[in-house]
Amino acid sequence: MNPEIKHIGPKLTEISWPIWMVGDLLLKRIQVEKAIQKEFSNSILETRAGYQTICIHWKEKPENEVLSKFLNQVQKISESPEFNVWEIPVCYDLSLGKDLKAVSETKSMHIQEIIDLHSESSYQLNFYGFLPGFMYLSGLNPLLTHPRKSVPDRSIEAGSVAIGGNQTGIYPLNSPGGWHVIGKTPTPFFDPFCDPPVWAKPGDQIRFTPITMAEYDRMSAHPIFPKAK
Amino acid sequence: MIKDWTFAKILATGPGTSIRDLGRLGYAQYGVPLSGPADLQAFQWNNHLLQNNENDAQLEVSQPGFKIQFLAPTLISISGALSKAKLNNKLIHNTGLQKINFEDILEIGNIESGSIIYIGVKHGFQSEQILKSRSQLKGITKTFQIAKGDEVPYFTNQEIPLLNRLSQVKWNSRYLSEEVVRVFPGPEWNLLTPPIQEFLLGQPFHISTMKNSMAVQLEELIPNEIPGIASAPVFPGTIQLTSGGKMLCLLQDAQVTGGYPRILQVMEDDLRILAQKKPGQKLRFLLVKN
Repeated sequence: MNPEIKHIGPKLTEISWPIWMVGDLLLKRIQVEKAIQKEFSNSILETRAGYQTICIHWKEKPENEVLSKFLNQVQKISESPEFNVWEIPVCYDLSLGKDLKAVSETKSMHIQEIIDLHSESSYQLNFYGFLPGFMYLSGLNPLLTHPRKSVPDRSIEAGSVAIGGNQTGIYPLNSPGGWHVIGKTPTPFFDPFCDPPVWAKPGDQIRFTPITMAEYDRMSAHPIFPKAK
Repeated sequence: MIKDWTFAKILATGPGTSIRDLGRLGYAQYGVPLSGPADLQAFQWNNHLLQNNENDAQLEVSQPGFKIQFLAPTLISISGALSKAKLNNKLIHNTGLQKINFEDILEIGNIESGSIIYIGVKHGFQSEQILKSRSQLKGITKTFQIAKGDEVPYFTNQEIPLLNRLSQVKWNSRYLSEEVVRVFPGPEWNLLTPPIQEFLLGQPFHISTMKNSMAVQLEELIPNEIPGIASAPVFPGTIQLTSGGKMLCLLQDAQVTGGYPRILQVMEDDLRILAQKKPGQKLRFLLVKN
């Protein structure tokens, strides 16, 4: 499955696949992105990624044929990076998961069922976007799919764990948002005083471990970046 | 050479004044916006005249009624929008180099053309650097804008610095009244029907009051039948078409990904034309083929 190349002026080139590059396909996207960064390191300012795309921001764009030739040949390379698994504590107490009760009512599901389904899946980090440190995660159980709020909340607190559409995510900073908050994590997801300011990378797996309110209080008194398993 | 710390005191400011350098290139992979200057060429011009490093931080001012007092001698440079600028209550050239002595007060009055002014200082403003940049942004730096009473550090030699050659080049402000913005077809441009493409390129658009450092929304709506897309990269200059038919042109503090179709991409050199427009002013798009 060869990606399509779209040149957007002299500074941007987008490489796009016809389907979402999640699950096993994410590895391919990551490999292509890394290979491009390595091959064209002197002519690239940076690359950005989405579900179906990699976009290259050029300092100086090479000839179109040079890039397409490279992409054809990189399809065969299969250097595999190492990925980590992260266990993230989440407190699903109703006082923190402010929308959990409403979600359980509209979906006619027990609160415990929602917590079980949410915390037994393993989620794949696809890329960061929306806010600094916001992870685009795939792998939400389809039973938990829930339309976004029609009117967004003015402020969702940092650490809130939420679901919206077919996605789940953690708000790394206080922000307005239209997702349903079902819990909260004491783990920081973005720290501008660390470089890199995040602890996980695309391709890593994220798992949520339910914790009690007491554990949440204890852990949030000393927030620290987690360690990989 | 003496290089002492000193401060510039903010005596008055409207909202939206902030410290800017070239931003956080390389951090988009963590979801961090670029936060470079809205008008890159104006920013570059100041640092060039001051013989600064290209990344030296400046003040970006977007409201009249800005007043700043420099506690010790230096050289400053003003560029971008054209305003009534005063030094110690006397009208001065509103662009170019300006000598500053002990406790001089610079005032930016009415902004007559354009909307964003850059004030550069010799060696740059020395505010906190977070993720390799001084550009202020919510969630990254302690404060996201400059407020009255703030003291912004800079270096002084205790005398007005002499440059080897004092540049007399004039700031070319013609772009402030330019209405044509050159654009490239965005990744989703071809999803628009030809009549809508034609409409978009034939019609003038007006800047709405929905304008901040993340995006500017255009007044006129476009009939939109393209569905949302899987979240994909966006950049300053990306023009998105929302489900309601609004056109959003992303600016320097925009998110790094978005879910709206990306119909156009403003040419890098022309982004300043858009950024300098005020609500109510109009522009037209000129499509440049890739």
